[in-house]
Amino acid sequence: MEYIISVLVLMGIYVILSTSFNLIIGYGGLISIAHPIFFAIGAYTTGVIAIHWDLFAPLTLLIAVAVAVIFSLMLSLPSLRISGDYLLITSIGFQLGLLEVIKHLGWTGGASGLGNIPNIIDGANRSEMFALISIGLACLVFLMIRWLLKGPYGLLISAMRDDEVAFSAMGRNAMAIKLVIFAIGSGCAGLAGGLYAYYYQYVSPEQFEILQSSMILTMVVVGGMGSQWGPVVGAVLLLFLPQAIGFMNFPPSVMGPLQGLIYSVLVIAFLFLRPQGLTFSLKKGSQ
Amino acid sequence: MQAVIQIKDLNKQFGGIVVADQIGLEVHAGEILGLIGPNGAGKTSLFNLISGLYAIDSGSIFLNGKPLAGMSTVQRARQGIARTWQHMRLFPSMSVLENLCVATRHFGAENILNLIVRPLSLKQAQASTEQKAMHTLERMQLHGLAHSSIGDLTFGQQKLVGLARALMNDGNCLLLDEPMAGVEGAAYETIKDIVREEALSGRAICVVEHNISFVKDLCSTAIFMANGKILERGTVDDLLASKTLETLYFGGAAA
Repeated sequence: MEYIISVLVLMGIYVILSTSFNLIIGYGGLISIAHPIFFAIGAYTTGVIAIHWDLFAPLTLLIAVAVAVIFSLMLSLPSLRISGDYLLITSIGFQLGLLEVIKHLGWTGGASGLGNIPNIIDGANRSEMFALISIGLACLVFLMIRWLLKGPYGLLISAMRDDEVAFSAMGRNAMAIKLVIFAIGSGCAGLAGGLYAYYYQYVSPEQFEILQSSMILTMVVVGGMGSQWGPVVGAVLLLFLPQAIGFMNFPPSVMGPLQGLIYSVLVIAFLFLRPQGLTFSLKKGSQ
Repeated sequence: MQAVIQIKDLNKQFGGIVVADQIGLEVHAGEILGLIGPNGAGKTSLFNLISGLYAIDSGSIFLNGKPLAGMSTVQRARQGIARTWQHMRLFPSMSVLENLCVATRHFGAENILNLIVRPLSLKQAQASTEQKAMHTLERMQLHGLAHSSIGDLTFGQQKLVGLARALMNDGNCLLLDEPMAGVEGAAYETIKDIVREEALSGRAICVVEHNISFVKDLCSTAIFMANGKILERGTVDDLLASKTLETLYFGGAAA
């Protein structure tokens, strides 16, 4: 039971990650692979604050979101100013470079990670409470993004993605919209990171490696890029996959690469066989 | 009377290809200026220079007496430059009505903080934008298709939507890039009537068009361009009588 509950906590975290990544890549058309680094920024910010200052946990999570947003602007402002393709290249550098920085800083715990993050929920029902919070926050993020996309801002996002030149010639500022989308998506990843740090009470750089990016991308592609329910379905399915492989009792040296291989094969297979993902609705393809 | 669009000594070239060579022109409110010339003459490039998609090499462009130098495409559209495209460039994932609603000159929801701080006034603004869009579609006789997807429309209907979308910008400068290409029948007459009405309402309109009878029906004056240069200007009848136009359009040595 404890195991299932811990999977539920992770499910909430990954629904936040995949839903927010879908906003960036699926709706905004912004190709970035740096989502795990914003997840890491949220986790480390939460961890460091929780260790050094006794702040109210929701406030700490808000700070984690704010820091992730600030870092997202550091990446998006220079790269989006040039053109969309540059975002992919700079996001690779940002992801790899910042993770290296984290590995070499003393106050982040270096390569061995940041431990002893204080527990914020005591008692026998700790995991259940975390599962509730995690799924609650995932629902909140899902509803917030849904509200954004269903309203007039969603129209702007669709128009920008369809034809940026025509969009600009109508007086709409594509750059500002891209920055906002990227900041919201990255802020949500920071929130997921904060939750992760509070639940596991330990964060280390290898948890935020580039493989995470392929995992989140697989969730989005398998579920349905540009569909609101797609990343939720993708996250739930893909979280059960490692558990399923786990029953085969492969050694850890095989499990990691195997997982990466499966994600890659899934992305390629879906892109060729069902590019619209599992949840694609025939009605406008956006529900 | 001050010109709505005034262009002085405009030059632009891409490598060795000259798309604007000492262009100078004025278009006044209520005037419809036709731009004619063979493919590659620089007509669409001139629109791209006015709307800020291309940076000019030298010269100046004024809108209602205000220099456009240093203004981005976005800022120029907000100053009141509306345009259509030869290949329409509609938003295929959106309905006809949505295509129009995002094209209004000032879109309150573009500032995301307004969604949180001023949701009610934003809703009112959105309702009035929708009303304006529906009215524009009624003028185009497309109101029955307001909620249709762009892909479900005929080519002529898509051209009409492109024009309707440009009209959502209530500025006084309208650039129409081949509005009649591939259009016939009822849509042809509708576009002609609407362009005329817009000019009467005080817009300055430039039309790039290969359909000479359309230009003749609508335009008070026209310019004939080739290789980025204005070769002739005057009434459409004057241009049609020109030897230069005849040579460049129907063959023979270039003038």
